[in-house]
Amino acid sequence: MSNIIKTLDATDCLEGIESVCDIESGRISGKIFYDQKIYEQELEKVFARCWLFVGHDSQIKKTGDYITTTMGEDEVIVIRQKSGGVKVLLNACPHRGNKVCFSESGSTRGFICNYHGWSFNVEGNLTGQHESGIYEDSNFDKSKWGLKEVAKVASYKGLIFATFDPESPSLEEYLGPMTWYLDALFDNQEGGTEFVGGCIRSTYECNWKIAAENFVGDILHAGWTHDSAARAMLGGAVSKVSDFEESYSVNWNGHGYEFALDTVGNVAVLGDSQLNKYLHTIKPSVAERLGDFRSNMIGSVSSCTIFPNFSFLAGQNTVRIWQPRGPNKIELFTWVVVNKSASQDIKDRWRKGAMMTFSPTGVFEMDDGENWEYCTKTAKGKVTAKQDLYIGLGMDSYLEDTDLPGNVYKGQLNEANSRAYYQRWQDLLQSKSWADVPNRNKGKAEVEK
Amino acid sequence: MEKVYLCKATDLEANQVKKIENNKFGDIAVYNLGGQFYATADLCTHATASLAEGDIEDDMIVCPVHWGMFHIPSGEAQGFPCESDLQTYPVEVVGDEVFAVIDVNENIIAKA
Repeated sequence: MSNIIKTLDATDCLEGIESVCDIESGRISGKIFYDQKIYEQELEKVFARCWLFVGHDSQIKKTGDYITTTMGEDEVIVIRQKSGGVKVLLNACPHRGNKVCFSESGSTRGFICNYHGWSFNVEGNLTGQHESGIYEDSNFDKSKWGLKEVAKVASYKGLIFATFDPESPSLEEYLGPMTWYLDALFDNQEGGTEFVGGCIRSTYECNWKIAAENFVGDILHAGWTHDSAARAMLGGAVSKVSDFEESYSVNWNGHGYEFALDTVGNVAVLGDSQLNKYLHTIKPSVAERLGDFRSNMIGSVSSCTIFPNFSFLAGQNTVRIWQPRGPNKIELFTWVVVNKSASQDIKDRWRKGAMMTFSPTGVFEMDDGENWEYCTKTAKGKVTAKQDLYIGLGMDSYLEDTDLPGNVYKGQLNEANSRAYYQRWQDLLQSKSWADVPNRNKGKAEVEK
Repeated sequence: MEKVYLCKATDLEANQVKKIENNKFGDIAVYNLGGQFYATADLCTHATASLAEGDIEDDMIVCPVHWGMFHIPSGEAQGFPCESDLQTYPVEVVGDEVFAVIDVNENIIAKA
């Protein structure tokens, strides 16, 4: 079968892209949030090349189980194979391009196009058409016309990623030492995690990067932006982050995780003491499994983005994709992740807690949306977009002497991860191939055992 | 009348279907529905598809290509896109051997 996708030919880099971010000076330009030409380059040089999160193993348990999502603006079907593997197929019929699957998730024998009755099995192979005789009379070779498969699919601890680019580094290399930190949420108990409930979808009139960057390294906003929401949920203010004795910002290849070691600062904002109790109960076993350090991260004040647009919060257990829909619009797909081994009651509490806080009507999400929309909209002004935006906090906070993996910076009130994020973005936009993308990592690539 | 050997009864488990190639009458699908054997033409009446590759749901065979259905005992098409009934053949089980009984005069060769 030759259902392998055709890849894009790299276009020239956009003129002037080198000047929209000057990371060493701690400045970016608002233009990057509201520019159609930059957006077109992002679809090609970021979304058609990077590894993108497409789903969780628990969403597609048996053969024929599928979910639909997008990689950039490309619609895809993620479907479990008989072999146990996963295929990611373009959700477009290779006859006239019509969408073949209209539901968000399900279990199926295959997909039949509404237009001319082309039928595809779970593997994506074309099995037949309405009026099949005319195809046979035309010597049509149906083995060449299945649903197109993306270049590569791989997973880490239940998280399934895919890339359109056969030249991209392996997922392992792409994630690098960030996996050590991912384990704090995705592998803190035997059996791993699962998604509970469905996919919560909403739209924002904001640029996708402003949201992704908020999760990569911006806890700074929380104490101010979310004060009223925190008072509603907690009956008091958000933890004063500058009071934490020890916290970090860690990044690699543009991914970033900022975290404190307070165990339950994030989970507390769900306002459900049973969840705090659950984390305290499992903490000793997490320490045994992952060590003391990461047992302090299971629900601590923290956030993470895996470049370019996959983010999560340990504690709130919200997992999300900021799907780009133009330079000034996103579609947000959100799921709730829980430990498989947790009781149904605990799983339900997390689902409800996440809905109360990080859903379209969630008290924290509404705060963020308003800010992000206006960070984007102000850049509609040509003159405004030309102005510098400051991104220089924590410029001299790199930690040379640490056993922690990755590029490690002191403190989570720090724009180091945000800078690394925009730097990676700019590097990709300035590189026609993966070989041209500079390696800016300076920390430990592997965990010292 | 012609008796066409299909398979051994013990080789077809309950609620399974198997395709038996036959150049004279067209390929035949033989079904075991809970111990009762049935035979029909294997080719879907709608488009090119081997019904033996489809799924049995109760006493229906679901075509693997467009998921149209036929009633296995009667061959009755259940609706779009399957609108022409499926040829059925009486079945005889002799000892462990399953045969289709085909009326040579009625059954001209199915389209290949």
